[in-house]
Amino acid sequence: MIFLTLVLSTFREAVAKKIFLGFFAISTLIILIFLFLINVESVEGMVDMMGAAGDEGIRKLVIGFEVAMIDISYLLIITFCLISVSSFIPSMLEKGNIDLLLSKPISRTNIILAKFTGGVLLVFFSLVYLIGFVWIILSSKSGFWHFPFLYTILWLTLSFAIIYSLIIFIGLVSHSTILSILVSFFLVFIVCPVLYVREATIFSLVENNVVQFIINFFYYILPKPSDINKITTDIITGEEVNSYMPVFSSVLFMLAVLSASVFYFKKKDY
Amino acid sequence: MNIITTKNLSKEYSSKSFSKEKILALNNFSFEVESGEIFGILGPNGAGKTTLIKILLGITHRTKGEVKIFDNEINTETYKFKVGYLPENHKFPNYLNGEQVMEFYGKMSGMNTAGVRKKTDELLKIVDMEKWRKTKIKKYSKGMLQRLGLAQAMINDPELIFLDEPTDGVDPIGRKEIRDILEDLKDRGKTIFLNSHLLSEVELICDRVAIMHKGSLVKSGRVDEITHISDNYIINCSDISEAIMNKLMMNFKATILSINEFHFKSDNIDELNRLIDFIRQNKILIRGIQREKNTLENMFINLIGSQN
Repeated sequence: MIFLTLVLSTFREAVAKKIFLGFFAISTLIILIFLFLINVESVEGMVDMMGAAGDEGIRKLVIGFEVAMIDISYLLIITFCLISVSSFIPSMLEKGNIDLLLSKPISRTNIILAKFTGGVLLVFFSLVYLIGFVWIILSSKSGFWHFPFLYTILWLTLSFAIIYSLIIFIGLVSHSTILSILVSFFLVFIVCPVLYVREATIFSLVENNVVQFIINFFYYILPKPSDINKITTDIITGEEVNSYMPVFSSVLFMLAVLSASVFYFKKKDY
Repeated sequence: MNIITTKNLSKEYSSKSFSKEKILALNNFSFEVESGEIFGILGPNGAGKTTLIKILLGITHRTKGEVKIFDNEINTETYKFKVGYLPENHKFPNYLNGEQVMEFYGKMSGMNTAGVRKKTDELLKIVDMEKWRKTKIKKYSKGMLQRLGLAQAMINDPELIFLDEPTDGVDPIGRKEIRDILEDLKDRGKTIFLNSHLLSEVELICDRVAIMHKGSLVKSGRVDEITHISDNYIINCSDISEAIMNKLMMNFKATILSINEFHFKSDNIDELNRLIDFIRQNKILIRGIQREKNTLENMFINLIGSQN
């Protein structure tokens, strides 16, 4: 009951800070653009043309749209989510607020887990709205009901959860919203994409084994949102997924960072 | 029965991050708070009062020593179901209104929705905040926030309530109302742990006090014992001649304060009356006789002054 109250308070905070409204506005805009695009004559003509090529043509067209949708969702929604939730922990730690929270009969571990759960559920429901609507529009327009596309909701939520665990840790240690945003952006949009293509780029320039080992080391210990994005795309397109290692290692990273957050929070005096 | 017991409680802080230099916020602090009393904790800024409250509530960790609340070690959160707390400079989420603040903290104290609603209606009426219940708290004045904070601290009908500067920012009428609420809680058998800078207020409502200085317990006891009425009298009268002054000093051991005021000490009421007779016989008019009272404030200032 107390845990649930804290989870729901995250939602209330999101509503008050217009985060939900922001999600809704951005998602609705994407949906409307999508709706407009698939109704323009050239696209309708394309659908007719692919339809003439049979079910396989329709399937390819729908999957093409879906893959594009994943990239858009990943960029826009994850960016917006990271910015939005970064303030949750620093605002909780404000003097006068944290004292009161810690005086209540809830353990520090559960406070962190409730904040984490609240943020993750917030993003999950936002993705349900966006991806769900796009899926309904695409399916009703094409007549091809491609259920694997709905898994995108879970994969994108997982990607967010992994980065959110890091935001929580940075927020706890630094009490800074800005630093949480900067570090998570640096990781998601610079470090991880570079490490993802390390073999094709860095390793072709640097042949030193020690350097390559260090870069590989960072690749394996850090989260891999780019890899998870690729796995999501492979699942949707029906291609064989080479390895789920990026998912497992990213989840391990998340668990390790969450554990570190709990450990730090339990030791800290407020 | 003791509600709070501490034994040799100590807390050390690092003066800066990663620094080995330590600041002793609490030094072997031992005390007890009995069930059903209003207990006041006094001390100058930095004495360790808030640190003590935070340790008792598990907000700050002790370095060493024992703490028992409701006769149990405070290793789990269970005791907090029976505890209420109003922190100094509390900060409620400002997007909530008064009613939502009560609902949130009530549920965070383990109450169900029906219970929270019932207590919210009752408590907002008691703290005179009923008509502001739907107003966002960012529009509240400091006094209104303090009243709401007090209601919040009582939402779960706690056995033990910690109040850190509860009358901060509250006007004199509001302070009187808060005192009445605390008296009412005491009458209902609740234990109140009060930290306030307003010594006159502490003197009015507390049964016992503990005075802290630099993390240590300097003095503790019942307020009426600490602020006992002394045997000192200040006598204000018409002008006294030098000859009479000398007689007062010689015969009554009086201390002359000015030409029309002197100090007299005696635990014998007959002697006081003899002094009055002497003054009247010498055609001196008595304007007033005041028995000196050792206020908590006087005692506090003297005690802390002697410690520095």
